Amino acid sequence: MAIENALVRADMIEATEYPELSDRYAVYGVPLTVVNDKVRLEGGAPEAYFVPRIMHELGITLEAEPAEE
Amino acid sequence: MALLKPSDQAALREELNKMTNPVRLVFFTQMLGCETCPITKQILEEVVALSDKLELVTYNHAIDREAVERYGIARIPAIAVVRLEVQASDDGQQFTEHDYGIRFYGVPSGYEFMSLIGDILDVSHGESGLSAESKALLAQVSQPLHFQVFTTPT
Repeated sequence: MAIENALVRADMIEATEYPELSDRYAVYGVPLTVVNDKVRLEGGAPEAYFVPRIMHELGITLEAEPAEE
Repeated sequence: MALLKPSDQAALREELNKMTNPVRLVFFTQMLGCETCPITKQILEEVVALSDKLELVTYNHAIDREAVERYGIARIPAIAVVRLEVQASDDGQQFTEHDYGIRFYGVPSGYEFMSLIGDILDVSHGESGLSAESKALLAQVSQPLHFQVFTTPT
């Protein structure tokens, strides 16, 4: 996702090495994805579910069908 | 003593053969107070030895503040996975960095290790491999998004 849009950056964090950070984000199960400190998604999910779900929670939807070139 | 078994090295070498552009692994470490830095360093050294398209650059988190700032490094050990792109210049070819903002914090072992290898390939290709639908959604992103994915070694 970070490759697709320059506004997206992605940290992969080994939770047990940073207990303070894990406490702050209340990491109880992994994988846990946190976006902009507000959207949380626990557990692994296939891309077809993961990307639309995260985007929906961020209020990002496909506004219209892309116009034909 | 090598962390990667000879059979793993062979499989990884084959996988890394699929790289197109070179990739720079920018490693942030510290001499003191970082228990997992030495093992991370060893893993990275063994990985970059498997491909001539991989290079390792190491910074000291406590000293090299300019680099810490430039790559936006929050903690150690940290690895930034950065694409190198050829740019023609007056004195021949020059590589410039294309930083997609991909970082690994902590030892890349277990499942995280395969994530790192996968990201090296994606960054090398400059292609996420995501579906057309995902790409269309991501094209709509107009504000900075900071993903943090927590994992544990397995």
